[in-house]
Amino acid sequence: MLDVEELPEAASTSSEFESMLAAPPSALDAIPGAVYICDHRGWLVRYNIEAAELWGQSPPVGENGVQLCGSNRLFLVDGTPLALDDCPMATALRTGDPTRNAEVIMERHDGSRFIALVNIRALRDQSGAIQGAINCFQDITAYRAVAEELRRRNEDLEDFFNNSAVGLHIVNGEGIIVRANEAELSLLGYSADEYVGRHIAEFHADAPVIDDILHRLSSGEKLESYHARLRAKDGSVKHVAITSNGRFEESKLVNTRCFTVDVTDLHEAEAARRESEERLAATYEAATVGIAEANAEGRLLRVNDAICKMLGRSREELLSMTFADYTHPEDIAEDIALYARQISGELGSYVLRKRAIRSDGTTIYLDINSSSVIDASGFRYGVRVIQDVTAAKQLEDRLSASERHFRKLLEALPAAVYTTDAEGHITFFNQAAVAMSGRTPQQGDLWCVTWRLFNADGSPLPHDECPMAVALKEDRTVRGAEAIAERPDGTRVPFIPYPTPLHDADGNLIGAVNMLVDITERKLAENRQKTLIDELNHRVKNTLATVQSLAAQTARHADSADDLYHRLETRLLALSRAHDLLTRRHWEDAPLDSLVREVLLPLSGDASNRIEFNGVRVNVSTRAALNLTMVLNELATNATKYGALSSDAGRVVLSWNVRSQLAATLLELEWQEIGGPPVSPPDRRGLGSRLMKRCIERDLGGELDLVFAATGVTCRISISIPAEAT
Amino acid sequence: MTKYSGLRALVVEDEATVAMLIEDMLEDLGFEIVASVASLVEASEVAVNVEIDFAMLDVNIAGDLIFPVANLLSERQIPFLFSTGYGATGLPPRFSRCCVITKPFSQAELLEKIVLALDN
Repeated sequence: MLDVEELPEAASTSSEFESMLAAPPSALDAIPGAVYICDHRGWLVRYNIEAAELWGQSPPVGENGVQLCGSNRLFLVDGTPLALDDCPMATALRTGDPTRNAEVIMERHDGSRFIALVNIRALRDQSGAIQGAINCFQDITAYRAVAEELRRRNEDLEDFFNNSAVGLHIVNGEGIIVRANEAELSLLGYSADEYVGRHIAEFHADAPVIDDILHRLSSGEKLESYHARLRAKDGSVKHVAITSNGRFEESKLVNTRCFTVDVTDLHEAEAARRESEERLAATYEAATVGIAEANAEGRLLRVNDAICKMLGRSREELLSMTFADYTHPEDIAEDIALYARQISGELGSYVLRKRAIRSDGTTIYLDINSSSVIDASGFRYGVRVIQDVTAAKQLEDRLSASERHFRKLLEALPAAVYTTDAEGHITFFNQAAVAMSGRTPQQGDLWCVTWRLFNADGSPLPHDECPMAVALKEDRTVRGAEAIAERPDGTRVPFIPYPTPLHDADGNLIGAVNMLVDITERKLAENRQKTLIDELNHRVKNTLATVQSLAAQTARHADSADDLYHRLETRLLALSRAHDLLTRRHWEDAPLDSLVREVLLPLSGDASNRIEFNGVRVNVSTRAALNLTMVLNELATNATKYGALSSDAGRVVLSWNVRSQLAATLLELEWQEIGGPPVSPPDRRGLGSRLMKRCIERDLGGELDLVFAATGVTCRISISIPAEAT
Repeated sequence: MTKYSGLRALVVEDEATVAMLIEDMLEDLGFEIVASVASLVEASEVAVNVEIDFAMLDVNIAGDLIFPVANLLSERQIPFLFSTGYGATGLPPRFSRCCVITKPFSQAELLEKIVLALDN
């Protein structure tokens, strides 16, 4: 820059103005810069080549030439026109005030403009009067442009610094924060006052980290996305990536510039993703079910430990195989076919039980649960969840075999057996149950296989109150109950149920089994027994009544106690023998000849060989047998005491015959005493004859004709008997 | 003479010896035995046609039950007394309130029942 103050004075005698004018043009041209001089009236009087070049013209000098400036027009740097009278040269001439480093715009005749830096000084004579002024100017257009560019750049930088979305701070060589931008302050929540001026280490969560950062930077190292944790004002910790380097002057660290990028969200997302991935991987490996991923060809892409263990093969081995490679030959086709349908999208997933061959050659059962991972482009890979069900399968097989066995057993049982689940739904019943209930139980039947139920007393018994329902609802065994089942055809079966709850290994109620024992036979037997006892009672009572009567009647007619005893005894014994015979015959019809023998022979003692009897084979009813016994007993007793059997010469002939008539069959008997002592009719009709008459005529509806002939007693008896008795 | 003198009685009893005893007992009490029968047919005939004041009915008469005869007597409002070896349980509901005497019985028991049967 030209300093006009330093121009050498031309001569001590002449003024500066005069010296300038006197100097040859070459002197002005030698000045490195544009120079021109005006006289005190403003007339351009001298200028050099450089000035002419800048003006783009060589204006005339001297009076009536050019005023104040050799350019066409003047403007202020902001572009407003500058009147000549107001220009710095005019001011210098008028007031003597110099102008230093003023900027004006000069316009050439061709309209082009340049910015001129002007330095003007008034030129005075020895008396101090202003003789003129000198203007040294230079084109600073380019400089100005550079300066403007610099200013603008600086503004941009400031703007960038202050308004950047990225946190920025500058730390000096001592670690003190000297600047920080808005982004950094808002990231950490501090005001500029709270942040700037503090040591950067105060804001780091990890002292070793900031020590390391400062050490690196002071060593000239550049940090790229160095991870650190900053402490925000609210106490939270921000994860940041710091990019920084140091500025050195004379190998001394002046400051460091740090870009601070908040990666907290990123860090959290990353941590979450990592954790999720780790968990997934851990789950994958820790799963006790086998998990495998396979490509479209079935080649295994990933397998977990469980499946390696299951198949007894290493991971490497499995990853070189397809799942078909370890599948039992008979099960390959099905799995492959299903997998193909899954890959084609026809199946979303499938479940398959198949056999697989372990490396040791043993066969295991696997439950395969196959599905696909699909993205926008379609099938990505297959996921196969695999469970070793060998033990379960074997147990199942054993159980089903055992259950089949058990069911066969139940089927074979002669008793009605059925089972229900815990809710009482019938799950099984055997044929005996169908036979007993008279129906086949239907799907959804509850509590009992029977059609209708009644209590033992005949009152209706709702199914949900039956012993089986009680056993299930109260989870207890029910015993001692008795009920009656009615079949759809109306027949009834008395039975005893044996409902028993069933429990699983943990003691949970899972159902019940019931056995229905048909007690029809028992009931009938009970009834028969009751009838028998009643009948027995009846006979005993009737017999006692007969004995009572015989005793009473015999007593009335007896001559003495001996006579009473003897007569009563023979009557009771005759009765007893008839009972013996009938008991042997099970109280059914008895052959008449047996009856006669039983009654007469013991009675007659030694005389028995003097009793003859003959007749047709004929059976008599129990009632006729008893009455005939009484009659024969009376006849024999009388004959022994008074008649033919009372002497050695006498004898008795008993004969009988059967005669059929139109209406009935008659049994006719004749008792004839021969050769005994002469007979005289009794003076009064004794008990014996009264009894005989009653027995035959009253009880049997027959006829009895008793004749006391002198030659011997005869007795004719006629009773009607059933035709088939002969 | 007893309070039942002249009352006409029917005896239905299928065993001659027992019938004789009952007849004797009733006669001792003053009854006149107008019929003693051992079959349902004869008993029914008497029950319908004969003037009687009282009947002794054996429940089981030669295998038949006596109740048809009891019905006939009830229609004629003739009092009767069942005799049986079974006890009172063998009676149908219609006759459950009737007097029953179980064999064998004494004359005193018979009188007691007759009092009940005739006075009801």
